[in-house]
Order: sequence, then structure tokens, then C-alpha cells
Amino acid sequence: MPSIGTWLGALLSLAILSFLYKDNPLFRFAESLFAGVALGYYIGNQTNQTIKPNLVLALTRDFAANWDLIFAGLLGIGLYFRYIKKLAWLARVPLGIYVGYYVGVTITQKLHGEVLPQMKDTILPLSGPGLAPLWNGLMIVGVFSVLLYFFFSLEHRGAVGVASRVGILFVMVSFGAAFGYTVMGRISLLIGRFNFLVNDWLRPLLGAVF
Amino acid sequence: MRLADRLLAVDRRIIYLLVGIGTLIPLLFPIGLPVTITPPVRSAFEKIESLPPGSVVVVSFDYGPSTAPENDPQADAVLRHCFARKIRVVGMALYSLGGLSVAVEEMNKVAAEFPLEYGVDYVNLGYKDGAQAALRRMNENLHELFPRDAFGRPVSELPLMQDVRSLREVDLVVSLATGIIGEWWINLVNAQFGTPVIVGSTAIGTPKYYAYLKARQAEGLLGGLKGASEYERMLSDRYPVVAEIYRSPTLYTATQGMDIQTIVHLVIIALVVLGNVLYFVSRFRPASGDRHA
Repeated sequence: MPSIGTWLGALLSLAILSFLYKDNPLFRFAESLFAGVALGYYIGNQTNQTIKPNLVLALTRDFAANWDLIFAGLLGIGLYFRYIKKLAWLARVPLGIYVGYYVGVTITQKLHGEVLPQMKDTILPLSGPGLAPLWNGLMIVGVFSVLLYFFFSLEHRGAVGVASRVGILFVMVSFGAAFGYTVMGRISLLIGRFNFLVNDWLRPLLGAVF
Repeated sequence: MRLADRLLAVDRRIIYLLVGIGTLIPLLFPIGLPVTITPPVRSAFEKIESLPPGSVVVVSFDYGPSTAPENDPQADAVLRHCFARKIRVVGMALYSLGGLSVAVEEMNKVAAEFPLEYGVDYVNLGYKDGAQAALRRMNENLHELFPRDAFGRPVSELPLMQDVRSLREVDLVVSLATGIIGEWWINLVNAQFGTPVIVGSTAIGTPKYYAYLKARQAEGLLGGLKGASEYERMLSDRYPVVAEIYRSPTLYTATQGMDIQTIVHLVIIALVVLGNVLYFVSRFRPASGDRHA
């Protein structure tokens, strides 16, 4: 016989799938329950896996080595001052530090880890064995024509217009590939749910009954 | 109303029903269609294959239950490969909504299939918030970032973690990712610290990872359920002990899932073709006045 957890999962799955027929109270109940449980999970997860071991336990067990964490904790608490009208301005300090830090990290990350390596990989030889020159040429034409399509400081007429039309073809092929993968992804999720309903719930249930 | 018009105005729930039937039938009666191996998956497999026993691989569970049907088979296959080769695994999770739960569930499930000891052959460091800040810290000091494992045990007391103080002692990172976290591992950890990275992505996220793969910023790529099924195929061919696990009748595999994918895709293609044919038939048919002329 399936466990209580499996029964709950199966019934809630059916409640969510019932939306495919039409909107109904069971679907709305399951949807709200999911949102509430997800938020509760999130809070518990952050508290037990990050705040407790990295802040609370670190401060209580070895204060001398970790006293500087007080500032990190105060900055975190400071974000909640926005809910007190008179002190709301204080929340801007931790928010500013938070935004500044992540902007700094992300600029380096994007430039060093994405823009430069991808640019480097676009500098390709147009000679070589087999079909390599053809594929390299296609890559170069694709990159430049798509960049031109998104370059709006020049009117898309004449040669620029032709190149940007080529660019949109590459963009469409890219969208097509992305759409195909999206269909596969969504079907995978459906398979996962059906597999749960059939193999984890129905089969054991029928096995126990008959 | 003509048949073409009636079919074009078909209730969308009929289409849902057809997709549902297309999913259910191969689930109940598996077909066993062949799996072809693609270079991105082969590259990922060969990278792990090239690591000597005792190497350390970080497996980061950067997904939650919402994409588990795609990422779980990838995680299972990669973990089975590592454990079959006696590679030590450090598990962690960076996805807040369920990453920890899937990390605990998958690692416990796969570890139970092999004679392994927790803390020596594998550890689960649990979830950590902080996004890129956490990744940067990992390169400096894993023990400060993860003072305790997923179960509350001090990380410094785990024998495996004596050898792994930071990402510098890690031979490979495998990020099983939904959304953007796999990209962080590539464009931050790989780019700045040089640690090799393999990504197991959801199908929706796969196209963008091809750019990283082509630029050799990623060592390999498992795209969605298809990537997992290819990995399962190679793993079963190379390791009889793993093939035996995959032959278990109660185990759902990505390979079985791809049977269903194929049938449902055929249903969708048939519907797309039918919809287009009916559209053109209704567009070019003579007007009703002409018929009576």
C-alpha cells in the first residue's frame, strides 16, 4: 500500500492536473498549498542551512575568531528596517552594499567568463581540413549578422538591411531549437508526474487491493 | 460546418487527452528504442572516465523537485559513474527551493547501491545561500563556507574533507542545474579558478550551454532527459555492475523516459502537420457562394 506521503502527492498532482479540464476549487487549493509550503521550505532551509551554521553557531561557539560576522548579521537585519517608516532610510545602507558587491562580482564574471571567451571563440580560421572552413564561416556570418540585427544606431536599409535579414534567420533557427528543447523539457516533467502516479501510487495500490 | 473547420476548432482538451494517452501507453508497455550517443555527453563521460580512483568530484544539486524528472536521472548516472570508479564525491546544493532535499535523496539512494562509507567516500555538505559570493568563497575555504554538513556534523571531522579544503583540491565539478546556476559554475569558477566543469542542464536551458561547450568552457553537457539516457547507455555498456542496477524492473530510467518522449513527439508532430494541412485546406477552399454557382 502506498505511504501517506505518496497518497498526498498523488491526490495533489491530480488536483493540479484537473486544471487541464477547467479551473476549479481543488486546483486553487493545491496551488495555494504549494505556494505556502514552498515559502515555508525556503525560510526553514535558509535558517537551518545558512543562518544557523554560518552566523549563529559561529558566533556562539567561537566569538573571538568570528566577531566580524556581527557586521554581516547587522547588515542583514538592517534590510528589514524598510518596514519601520521612521527608520526605513537605514535599509538603504545594507542594500547599497549588497548591490555594490554583486555588481562588482557580476561585471568581472560576465566579462572574464563570458564576453571575452565567447569573443575569442568567434575568431575562427577560414581555412582548414574538410568542412571546417564552411562551419567557421557560417559561425562568423551568424554572429555578425545577429549583432547587426540588434544594432539600432543604423537604419536597416541597403546592405545593413540585407545583413540584418540574414541575422533574423539565425535568430529564428535559434528560437526553433530552443522551442524544440522546451517541448522536450515540458514532456519530461509530464512523464515524471505520470511515472509517479502509475509506478509509485497506482501499481502498489492495485497490488495491495487485488 | 465542414470537417476541416470542425477539426480546426477542436477542444484543446482533446489534444491534452491525446498527449496523455501518448505518455501513458509507452509508460505501461516500454518499447526499448535505441539510444544514440552525442559528442557533448560522450565528452562528459570520458572526462569522468579519465579521472583516477580517489579523485574528488563536486556534484552540485542546483535544481529542485520542479525539474527533478530531468535532473534526477542525470544525477543518478553521474553518481553511479563516480562510485563505480571509486571517485570520491562531495555533494552540495545551491538551489534554494528543494536543492537540499534532492541532494539528500539522490545521494542516499545511489550510495546505498555501492559499498561506501559516508564521510570517507562521499559527503553531503548541504545547501548554501549566497549565489556567486558562495562560489567565490569555495575557492578560498570550503570549511568556512560549509562548517557543517547537511546533517549538522562538523565538516572538519569528516575524513574526506581533510583532503578537500577548497576547490583547488577538486578535480571536477558537475553542476546539475536548472536556471542560471550552471552558468555561474562555468563563467565564474571555471573562468576564474580553472576548475573543470560539466553541466547537466534541463532541456530548456540546454541551447545556451552549447556556446560554453563550443568555447571549451565546459568539459561536457548532459541536455535534459536525452542527455541522461545517453549517459545511462554508455555507463551500462562500460560497467556491468551499473548495467545490473539499470536492469532492475522497479527502477525508472531516462532511457524508458525517452521511449515516451518519442511517442509524444510523434503525436505533437502529427498534430502540427494536421493543423497546418487543415489551415491551408480551409484557406484555399472555394467560398460558399462559388459552390452554389
